[in-house]
Amino acid sequence: MASNILRKLSGTFKNVGLAGSRRVNAAPTVLSRHLSSETQTEPESRPTVRKPDLVARAHVTDFGRYVAECLPKFIQKVQLTGTDELELLVAPEGIVPVISFLKDHHNAQFTNLSDIGGVDVPSRMYRFEVVYNLLSVRYNTRIRVKTYTDELTPLDSVNDVHKAANWYEREIWDMFGVFFADHPDLRRILTDYGFEGHPFRKDFPLSGFVELRYDDTKKRVVVEPLELAQEFRRFELNSPWEQFPNFRDTTVIEEAAPAAEKK
Amino acid sequence: MAGATVKLTTGLTGMGVARHPASTLKGLYGKILRSLAKMPDDAAYRKYTEEVIRDRAAVVEKHGANWKNIEQEINCGQIEELIIQAENELNLARKMVLWKPWEPLVTKPEPDQWKWPPPK
Amino acid sequence: MATGKAASVVTRQVRPILSLSHNEARMRALALYKAWYRQIPHTVNENDFPKSVKQCRQKLREEFMKHKDVKDVRVIDMLIIKGQMELQETATKWKQSMHIMAYWKDTVNKKPTDFYSKFLEGKD
Repeated sequence: MASNILRKLSGTFKNVGLAGSRRVNAAPTVLSRHLSSETQTEPESRPTVRKPDLVARAHVTDFGRYVAECLPKFIQKVQLTGTDELELLVAPEGIVPVISFLKDHHNAQFTNLSDIGGVDVPSRMYRFEVVYNLLSVRYNTRIRVKTYTDELTPLDSVNDVHKAANWYEREIWDMFGVFFADHPDLRRILTDYGFEGHPFRKDFPLSGFVELRYDDTKKRVVVEPLELAQEFRRFELNSPWEQFPNFRDTTVIEEAAPAAEKK
Repeated sequence: MAGATVKLTTGLTGMGVARHPASTLKGLYGKILRSLAKMPDDAAYRKYTEEVIRDRAAVVEKHGANWKNIEQEINCGQIEELIIQAENELNLARKMVLWKPWEPLVTKPEPDQWKWPPPK
Repeated sequence: MATGKAASVVTRQVRPILSLSHNEARMRALALYKAWYRQIPHTVNENDFPKSVKQCRQKLREEFMKHKDVKDVRVIDMLIIKGQMELQETATKWKQSMHIMAYWKDTVNKKPTDFYSKFLEGKD
């Protein structure tokens, strides 16, 4: 059984890689040069540092290029994270085409939507990132698709592609207040009825706005504005002794395919 | 030997044995190629999908009704799964004709959209 | 966005949520108000909470008038969507009487405004 899976893997990776490697020969990009220079340097020998899996990394990079070439209209950027996970950064208009491509295309088959997450970065013009985590059971690969929106811009629901998106999108709606157009049943999923606000937004206070208690005279639970007995304490987390100076400004992310520059 | 060519079960829940898998596949591959033909010649999606589909169609053509050899040579799951994959691809190809993903980028991101750590 | 930087600052092409014009948003808001208005007698009838239909309708009016100065069509749409969801929660009785009573905030003491009551509260 195990050997069968392995054989399948090698075969399929060859499949995905084939298309990619040919293109690399045609036009060496920044990343392929970077990869080759990395192989010349000494291999990582410290036991506590994660060793890069160059083979898997090359496959993932090739696949990233492949997708970027197939969908230049929607993919803004393809990048690898520090742990060699592939991320597709997608224009909000193209989220449904990209997810459908990843699900239905022969060389992708990301048939499992593992999760949808959100990130709130208030300093950006489009403050919310919506992150789709996909798994290809056939090729044993994961991919992350990111797109962005703001409080009032609806995002297309991927419920028609992945039924699993139904609850995940409800969760994003509940926690961040991102509206999904064409969602069949968009309503709260985690918060209580009558709850106001979206708790995962950065401007939502840690303590919330209201507190609930049982009122014995009214014989019911009542909702009251929160009153803290003590001023909320500020914790100064910036220590004067920086623990990880080496990682202060480094980004572990690198671009895999310059999708925007293509053509 | 005759018994070996009849598939009794796929071994997967909810997936029945296909009746005439080879001809089903041939039909699907033909449909996919026809919808791909509506795309411009230089579209990468069309190019790569045609490559995959032609390869698979050739294998199916070569082995005919011998599903075992087809499965072995394509090496991407059982023949029933191949049918599902082809159906998905057909579905996708038809939508792709409308989406036109070979066009240039539809929206450029804001300059700091994908920067990490984000600017203060 | 393609029309140049100066133009994009003034008007930004945005994707509508539901309504394309202010008028359309207004119609939706009125429709939502009517739906609530008609739902209230049923809710009062089916739930056990100490408010009359009249009081509920007054509350409904109050809740809508809170947002009377909202002009942005997309903000109106978002409020309508949330109002619609709350209507659904109320009509299907996902909300219990406690949730409905939360609209009145009848256990919340008013914040002291004048000097004397502030002094008695021990706050400033």
